[in-house]
Amino acid sequence: MELLAQILANGILLGGLYAVMALGLALVWGVLNIVNLAHGAFIMLGAYASWHLYTYLGIDPFLGLPLTALLLFALGYALQRGLLNLVVRAPMFNTLLITFGLEVVLTYLAQLAFSADFRTINPPYAGSNVQFGGVVLPLVRLAAFGVAIVLTVGMWLFLLHTRLGRAIRATAQNLLAARLYGVEPRHLYAVTFGLGLALAGAAGGLYGTVSQINPYIGASLTAKSFAIAIIGGLDNPLGVIVGGLFLGIVESLTTLYIGPTFADVASFGILVLVLIVRPSGLLGRTA
Amino acid sequence: MLPRLFFRFPSVILPCLLAALSLPAAAQEITLGASVQLTGPVANTGRYYRDAYQIAVEKINAAGGVKIGAQQYKLALKLYDNQSDVNLSVRQYTQLVSQDKVQLLLGPFASNFALADSAVSEKYKVPMVQGGGASDQIFSRKFKYIFGTLAPASNYFGSTIDMLKALKPAPKSVALLYADDAFDVSVAEGTRPKLKQAGLPIALDERYSTNATDFNSLLSQIKSKNIEAVLVAGHETEILNFVRQAKSLAVAPKMYSFTVGVPSEDFRHALGADADYAFGMTAWLPSAAQKDRWFGDAAQFASEYKQKYGYDPDYHAASGVADVEALVQAMETAGSMEPQKVRDALAKLKFDSLYGPVAFGANGQIDLPQVVIQVQGDGLAEIYGANGFVKQPKYPMPAWNAR
Amino acid sequence: MKALRAVLIVIAAALLAAVPWFGSDVLVQFGINALLLAVLAQGWNIIGGYAGYASFGNSVFYGLGSYGVAIAMVQWNLPFGVGMAFGVLLAVVFALLLGLPVLRLRGHYFAIATLALSQVMAAIVSNIGIAGQNIGLVLPPLNNDRLFYELALLLLAAATLTVWWLTRSRFGFGLIAIRENEEGAAVMGVNTTLYKVLAFALSGVFSALAGGIHAYWITFLDPESAFDISLNVKMIIMAVFGGAGTVLGPVVGALSLSAVSELLASEVTSIAGLFFGLVIVAAVVLMPRGLADMMRRLRGFGWRYFIENIRASRL
Repeated sequence: MELLAQILANGILLGGLYAVMALGLALVWGVLNIVNLAHGAFIMLGAYASWHLYTYLGIDPFLGLPLTALLLFALGYALQRGLLNLVVRAPMFNTLLITFGLEVVLTYLAQLAFSADFRTINPPYAGSNVQFGGVVLPLVRLAAFGVAIVLTVGMWLFLLHTRLGRAIRATAQNLLAARLYGVEPRHLYAVTFGLGLALAGAAGGLYGTVSQINPYIGASLTAKSFAIAIIGGLDNPLGVIVGGLFLGIVESLTTLYIGPTFADVASFGILVLVLIVRPSGLLGRTA
Repeated sequence: MLPRLFFRFPSVILPCLLAALSLPAAAQEITLGASVQLTGPVANTGRYYRDAYQIAVEKINAAGGVKIGAQQYKLALKLYDNQSDVNLSVRQYTQLVSQDKVQLLLGPFASNFALADSAVSEKYKVPMVQGGGASDQIFSRKFKYIFGTLAPASNYFGSTIDMLKALKPAPKSVALLYADDAFDVSVAEGTRPKLKQAGLPIALDERYSTNATDFNSLLSQIKSKNIEAVLVAGHETEILNFVRQAKSLAVAPKMYSFTVGVPSEDFRHALGADADYAFGMTAWLPSAAQKDRWFGDAAQFASEYKQKYGYDPDYHAASGVADVEALVQAMETAGSMEPQKVRDALAKLKFDSLYGPVAFGANGQIDLPQVVIQVQGDGLAEIYGANGFVKQPKYPMPAWNAR
Repeated sequence: MKALRAVLIVIAAALLAAVPWFGSDVLVQFGINALLLAVLAQGWNIIGGYAGYASFGNSVFYGLGSYGVAIAMVQWNLPFGVGMAFGVLLAVVFALLLGLPVLRLRGHYFAIATLALSQVMAAIVSNIGIAGQNIGLVLPPLNNDRLFYELALLLLAAATLTVWWLTRSRFGFGLIAIRENEEGAAVMGVNTTLYKVLAFALSGVFSALAGGIHAYWITFLDPESAFDISLNVKMIIMAVFGGAGTVLGPVVGALSLSAVSELLASEVTSIAGLFFGLVIVAAVVLMPRGLADMMRRLRGFGWRYFIENIRASRL
């Protein structure tokens, strides 16, 4: 019984990390209709940024998250304004291709710049844990979970209740009308994409504290983020929490009852099922 | 009309241009060819082989090169980067043999690469000596042109199990965790019967996906079942994750042993103090007792290597050097660089090198015993060898918060 | 005009067929790879280019074909031909069983669903004992590159002829109608579900055959290489680069991009992949409708062709 409780706790904490990973992807996809196949590569860059800040400037990875996020926001803004805005009105398919190309380019650049060696962010409190009712909760994962909740709820509030958030949603829903209201779409799209990447960067910073960083982690992170975003549903930013928790728990239980090699079968199998049965996701509106 | 012609022909002309641009290899030198992982996810270990091959070739050339009959030949090395892609590796080996016309082949790192690439050496009947693949599968296909200097995977935990039996008290339960690639599955398949024979009950036997990052579930099970000894066959990053997560989940079995990582400096550096108490194994230690024709002995080799490349060599590097030396010894014994003759000489080869005694079994694989090592404090200690305990192990491992 | 074009195609085909006799071993190996990629691109063309359903999961069929041949030859000691048939059978069953639910999805959801399917298949197969789990299988070696080359070329010819047949058959017109306006097509009496599933299965058959040849040629396979996710994007890029929805576009795209990639890999190894990524990005921005379209319009527009493309797609 205690084992089951521990496994569930593991799954929930993992789910929190998953939620942060998928948040940026869901935002950009749900709002801008841009499917970013390079999302994982940006998480990777965020992880490297966090690592450099920690190793060379001694900035704690959690405290340094805003800085990492800012760096990636700037990158995202530039990319959208300079490159992605050029293909926004082309068939959706083209954004898939161009972001794939970006993923390849970013992976190679990362490899040239940082080499293939594995790195990790190992602050002194990395091995600590909190014991709660017979269950051990690793401190870093608990903190990542906390950050995930804060960021997701924050994003939800931002989109619903701030002027900028409403402007972003308006632009996504009706470009022409938004323009008529004086919104500058190129700037707004760039801001949104920047936000998406900022979130990816934050996820990267967190990821770097719990796992190894190398230039090639992008592809599998993208795949995971997709699963989480879709299972949770793209209509509602809170969907990623549901998707993340769901996937985290399913994977942990699968590892316990079936076997560790079936975790991927479970996650992607559920993704396929959700797409077939309820494409709008667990929290999505069945339109 | 013209655009049509233009856009149809480039797809035919370009490949022909490629063929015309290939250059023949230089004569009066013996070229050894290899496709190694210099970039990509396993480049971390692949570079050991590039560096090892280079230092060996340089050292042998400095001593005069290869003596075949009355003639001295210099060695040359032709290396390709396979970007950690097995398919590319196969094509590069084909290119080395059929286009670059190298005389002999050196191997890549990793069993799955060696498995695929040995098909090329067999196809073209050019001997390949590889020091990167230990899986028994590579040598079970009755191929005649593949030789390996890594000890069989199935025996990796052999000496560790002998040590466990000799511990007082012996562990009451063992967990066997292994990644699902050729090498680690081979290790597990060989380890299970040995554990059974030693009377050590297996309480957890789990195969996990290669490149897994999350071991929390497995660790929780180890803790809940109070398993005393944990044997993990996996890759360096997985093991790093394993140890870190063990700490953060407060899981401390009485001992744990890993198939990779422990002998390497950067592994211990990455874990810092957390590496303490970890067991591993190695078929090679840089001891002055292992004499070598070109390097003097293993200790001298280790310091030369460190001086040249800036990091300590481990058994991967030593194995790579042994590959080059094996080819040279075979050529000199055969008195020829002709592939068939070299192959026959390799099969009968027996000589001492900094890596240890080199001799290939009937299936082409070397057989060397593994020595149990443990991280103790700042350094690596040799614990248990062919003759029993060399040094007392730090056993059992204390709880994480009691270190 | 048509006759001249046909003659040119025959000459090009003859030249390609003759390569194993005057080309180096490496060239033949490159050729086999390039031809198989062209088959994949052409197969994708059927479902993606003509039916308008951009599948990101044709690597599943490729993998099923590879494993079909491998399991038949290694575990059951059957000949290659039977293995290929088995692979095709697996692909068709998969297309029918999973194509039905997945083809109900539109646009990028279909793309993501097929991508997810390819991930699931790789994960499932790595757990199946008869398939060798994650270690894979080693096939009996056959040292006959010429045979594989001609087989691949034959397969490409078959795929291209099939696509050509599509352009003048009712089935093909139905697919194009689905692509342009699916509701309209349904209203006009096209059995959209049947046509879509058939197109999916047809593209699957070619991908499976290509996978089977590749497996026997390379003599080994494992889930990662058989269900290689990057193949999906490669075949799409090649088809789109050459011109999706045309008969020869994917062939040209595949052969030329393969040549460029191989040239880079042998000269500038570590940055080869980087250039490839840059080529993809540049192509999507500057020539999203492919080489075929570029060739057709470049004479009239000149450099403004590229600017027009950007102007049409940008925000």
